[in-house]
Amino acid sequence: MTDHPLDAPAPSGTTSPEAAARARLVDALVRTGEEDRAAFRDLYALTSAKLFGVCYRICGERQAAEDVLHDVYLTIWRRAGAYDPLRASPITWLATIARNRAIDWQRAQKIRRATPIEDAPPVIDTAPLASETMLQDEASDLLYGCLQGLEARQRDAIRTAFFDGVTYAELAERQSIPLGTMKSWVRRGLAKLKECLEG
Amino acid sequence: MSDLPPPEGVGPDGLDEAPDMTAAELALGVLDGEERAVALRRVLADPDFAREVERWRGHLAPWFDQWPAIKAPDILARIERSLDQAPAAPVASLIAKPRPRSAIWPGVAALSSIAAAALLIVLVTRPLAPLSPPQPAPSVAPLAPTLVASITPEGKGTPVTAVYDKTAGTIRLTEASLTSADHSAELWVIPADGTPHSLGVLRTRGATALTLRPENRQRIAAGAVLAVTVEPVGGSPTGLPTGPVVAKGILSRV
Repeated sequence: MTDHPLDAPAPSGTTSPEAAARARLVDALVRTGEEDRAAFRDLYALTSAKLFGVCYRICGERQAAEDVLHDVYLTIWRRAGAYDPLRASPITWLATIARNRAIDWQRAQKIRRATPIEDAPPVIDTAPLASETMLQDEASDLLYGCLQGLEARQRDAIRTAFFDGVTYAELAERQSIPLGTMKSWVRRGLAKLKECLEG
Repeated sequence: MSDLPPPEGVGPDGLDEAPDMTAAELALGVLDGEERAVALRRVLADPDFAREVERWRGHLAPWFDQWPAIKAPDILARIERSLDQAPAAPVASLIAKPRPRSAIWPGVAALSSIAAAALLIVLVTRPLAPLSPPQPAPSVAPLAPTLVASITPEGKGTPVTAVYDKTAGTIRLTEASLTSADHSAELWVIPADGTPHSLGVLRTRGATALTLRPENRQRIAAGAVLAVTVEPVGGSPTGLPTGPVVAKGILSRV
């Protein structure tokens, strides 16, 4: 069954540009799962900047990020058939693949990056991908609200871990604090976050 | 209450007050080395833990909205070349051929690895010309080392025999009925470092043959674990197991 609701005409008058963009992205991803090359090209055009942003930030160098991006799209081509629009937003699904691939690469390097990247290329778009803003609002509000409840150092460490894809060891090194202390901060922060998110 | 944690020696054994947040730590990606390997094994062994990791991925997902986009290099042509050269994608490369003799599988596979060794003769010799003259002397095409595993279901059920053909880089599995139709059974190799790598999705009916990518071929070695997890149809969306392990076995040389 490929009968997904996106093919249904959107209710006229209520379609926001965000919803339309999201629908286009879901459609491209679902059709990629049906081995549609044209849809795959469309998907690349729609998402490569976002996914390259993920790869670049975690890999920390352009050539590696490019190689990882290559692997990410091969993975997307192979796995797109498993994408379920009802379970995950398309960009979350895609970005999770990119982040995991980039982290795999980074872990395989065995070199710790003790400092954040300073030479990041210019950001072309800091706005959330349009497709996300509507349907993710509730989840976003919850996460951001709960993060406000953490101590700044807990919040910063968790945020850095997510965006830079770094380990406890690297977090501790960057802050020049003992590893055990960093683990303790993060664990307590995560426990508090869980209480807020799931409580 | 003091905010200061013990200055040192806070180990993973819960010496400090912080609760076990391993699922969140794995989703966040802060674990490394042995701790990561242990956590990944736990994903395979403990369905509740696996669900917890998934829940955390969902919790953190809104952050992807904030991730800055960067103009990507135009590598679409390179990606498409790779797709054209490697039709051996796990899902697309299910080149299993229905085997008329498949009725022999359930009984024989149950005999585990000794039987697997015997089966191997069937599997390995099948593609060869039947009339090859017997040549005990050094053969022109010596058989590459072959590995087998008996992948045993967690509960009741018939073990699945896996045979790896190093020359072709393919792994063949006997018929498996490990999932219902609304899920896929995904095969993983877990080398010594404990990190699972997907080898592909098993066919719902009949034997499966998977052609492995080069990086996965290097991971197939005696002692490595083969595990099957229950995943959404088509396989895990994350690249790591998300569902429970339903069967596993260890590769050994024959």
